[in-house]
Amino acid sequence: MAGSRREERTPHWILHAFLVATVIYTVYPVLWVLTIALSGKQSLAIADLPADPTKLDRVRAVVPWPTRFAFGNFISVMTDQPFARWMLNSAIVAIGATIVGVALSCTAAYAFSRFKFPGRRFGMMSFLVSQMFPGTLTLIPLYIIIVQWLGLGSTLSGLVIVYATTSIPFSVWMLKGYFDTIPKELEEAAVMEGAGPGKIFWSIVLPLAKPAIAITALFSFMTGWNEFIQAATFMDKEEMYTAPVGLRFFVGGFQQQWGYFAAGSIIVSIPVVLLFLYLQKYLVSGLTAGSVKG
Amino acid sequence: MSTTGPPALRVRFGLGLLLGLVLALGGGWALLRGARAQLEDDWITRRAIVSANALGALVGQAADDAAARTLVAGWQATHPPGSRVRVIRGTALEASTDPADSGDRAAPRRLAREEKPLYDQAQRLRAGVDSNREGGAPKPEIEVEREGSARRVAVPLEADGKVTGMAQVLVPAEPSIGARPPLQAALLLLAALVLYALAALFLPPRVALLATVSTAVFCLASAFFVGGELRALGLAERDGQRALAATVAAEVGRSRALTGAAGIDGGALDTDLARRPLGLVTGAGAIDREKGEAGAQDVRRRVLRSLLAIVGLGFVLLVLVGFGGARRVGRALVSNRQAYAYIAPAIIGTTLLVFFPFFYGIALSFTDSNIYNTNLPLSELWVGFRNYGTILGDFGVVRRAADGHWVFNYLNFYWTFLFTVIWTITNVAWGVSFGLLLALVLNTRGLALRPIYRVLLILPWAMPNYITALIWKGMFHRQFGVVNQVLAIFGFEPLSWFDRPFTSYLTALATNGWLSFPFMMVVSLGALQSIPADLYEAARVDGASRWQQFKAITLPSLKPALVPAVILSVVWTFNMFNIIYLVTAGEPGGSTEILITQAYKFAFQRYQYGYAAAYATIIFAILLVYGTIQNRVTRATEAL
Repeated sequence: MAGSRREERTPHWILHAFLVATVIYTVYPVLWVLTIALSGKQSLAIADLPADPTKLDRVRAVVPWPTRFAFGNFISVMTDQPFARWMLNSAIVAIGATIVGVALSCTAAYAFSRFKFPGRRFGMMSFLVSQMFPGTLTLIPLYIIIVQWLGLGSTLSGLVIVYATTSIPFSVWMLKGYFDTIPKELEEAAVMEGAGPGKIFWSIVLPLAKPAIAITALFSFMTGWNEFIQAATFMDKEEMYTAPVGLRFFVGGFQQQWGYFAAGSIIVSIPVVLLFLYLQKYLVSGLTAGSVKG
Repeated sequence: MSTTGPPALRVRFGLGLLLGLVLALGGGWALLRGARAQLEDDWITRRAIVSANALGALVGQAADDAAARTLVAGWQATHPPGSRVRVIRGTALEASTDPADSGDRAAPRRLAREEKPLYDQAQRLRAGVDSNREGGAPKPEIEVEREGSARRVAVPLEADGKVTGMAQVLVPAEPSIGARPPLQAALLLLAALVLYALAALFLPPRVALLATVSTAVFCLASAFFVGGELRALGLAERDGQRALAATVAAEVGRSRALTGAAGIDGGALDTDLARRPLGLVTGAGAIDREKGEAGAQDVRRRVLRSLLAIVGLGFVLLVLVGFGGARRVGRALVSNRQAYAYIAPAIIGTTLLVFFPFFYGIALSFTDSNIYNTNLPLSELWVGFRNYGTILGDFGVVRRAADGHWVFNYLNFYWTFLFTVIWTITNVAWGVSFGLLLALVLNTRGLALRPIYRVLLILPWAMPNYITALIWKGMFHRQFGVVNQVLAIFGFEPLSWFDRPFTSYLTALATNGWLSFPFMMVVSLGALQSIPADLYEAARVDGASRWQQFKAITLPSLKPALVPAVILSVVWTFNMFNIIYLVTAGEPGGSTEILITQAYKFAFQRYQYGYAAAYATIIFAILLVYGTIQNRVTRATEAL
């Protein structure tokens, strides 16, 4: 059945019709959020139905186009609601975790790539296996360690160290793969000129690996920015929520502030969606190269 | 090993023995010191409760206020100097022996404003007594606070079965157990070293021989140490019991002296916080033999496991040092110090917050840890495989109710597992087929607008998935959701999507289906584009039909990319926490939980940490089995 679509003989208008239908399917929820956000109301209905709706009224209620445009939701979610604070929390946590995680991963990946030492294989393998640990299993001990032992519940630093360390294994694998492709001759030349390993790492390898480090950092940032479970578990105080926890706060439980949720989602999503579209080719090659992320 | 000379070998095993024993005996002694201090603490509290109960019984029976004051004065005179008593009835301080309550503050008087906590405490105790009369979970009827080493115990006063007030008693601490010097451990260590030195001098310096000797000496010393210390701990427990019995006897005697013939029941003085008699001391003031023995055994059993663990660690140290492992490790550390310095920060970080939590989680799964006992060490909560037995041994997925309906137990592990499997298979099947179909369409030569389609079709993957989940939850809303509005256009009644398991499952499937196919599409598209076009040319020349081309060229070329992608997406879907947690939230009644959300709910909504850890460990085991099988299968298919 699918094979019939392989050749020019299939008329293109059929393909276009199919693709347009699929695009409507993928874009509809996004347009729906936009509509709710721009409606200026908290209701999740696009249009109010009259008491005795006609067919046309019903169709109007599913077309993702607001009955009137209003930017009230965007303005009040950033001013009346603590959402700006939550975004700031998310940004601090994601950036902090990225800096700490990538810094630690760079040095480790360099050692794994360049030095032969006992435990090297074991180290890389255990990093790989750690990606299979179910999040819930480590979440309970992490909760006990972070909240009950270290007293870092509802603090940004607690979340930073958790995100940074959990991102290390994936980052190390990504970076080691790139370091392996940097020719050793460059370093050998530097050794001949009397440079120590520290200098080689700092002034030769790191500058060469800039693109890989940037991509790893962006992934790490995106993971931190989008993380929900751990943030929801560790952050009890409302003013310490991150953006994901805050967005759920708007529509979870007894709150039904869909307008705030929609406006907030759009503000939160735009940077990561753009980042993702830019990064996805690296992601696909990195993921299918054999690492299993659970 | 053959390069080491005989003296070095002797010294190495000697050093191993020394270090191992220092760890085992020193660590064990520190552990036992802690255990004894804890024991002492418990006995002081228990004896303070006895004194307070005795006073409570006396004052409760007093005929009037004056009689109560006489009793309190008499009680103070017969007790050690640090003791204090205050009796509160309603808002009045009826009697007090506290030096602060003299002069114009002398009892009887009304409680001052800043003494409100006393009044509140009395009310709490009254509430506790009333609640315990009605049954249910026992509530505290006694409150104990520390004041330095002394205890301040508050007990309710009762007359004719009614709570009439509260007595607060300050009881100074009287040690009953005493400390134990580390003499035995030190002597054992010395004796062991001498024994080893003698044996090592007279024996030929062979590895096997020295290893046997040092192990034997280590075991001997450890056995003496553990045996001796456990016996001493049992004796200490007995000392505590005797001290308690003495306190009970003394209180009975004093109350007889104070009230004349009518004494109080000695058996009812030693109680827990809900004032239920513990039964260790009989009414006659003697120690119940069985209970006493059980108590001593219990105390010993509690430390035994930790003690053995420390001894085991000591033995590991002996082996490491003795066989030169420690030395080799040290050498490797020195010669590769640069590499280790580079990886150290990352390794320390992941060890503390990735690997340690993992192993701690597994250890937790063998305990009945929950929100009420997280401050206790795991060894005291150890239940072995009980959690696993409860989870895996319960096959009661369905039963027939009295009215003949089938009733599903949605909390049952096998239900959740079955649901997870169905969830995973349907999602991956949908993702692969739809993603592949789109990739084939997009790969058509000369198709206009291809880049635009591609970006728009990737959009669901780019959206943060918790936002996707919440959007779809909104779209499935019963009253205002778009899905029901569309149904209404076609004349259907609106559905309560989250009221039935099947429709609830459909909402999650729709959500996850929406966000999961772009991954497969991108992977397939990449693989399709790498197939050289002349392969198809050649096939066409040979007269192959399109279906034959698809089967012979397209599918095999897709396999290297698709197989890892499918493996990956199975693991992702199996663990797709956000979608289930945010869209269906397990509604109705937990029927649409997958394993990982169920484990989360056990941990953070029902607070059964141990049970949840066992649940999560089982999930890990399932993933591990899946990983192994999948590894075998891919290897086998590659060989074909």
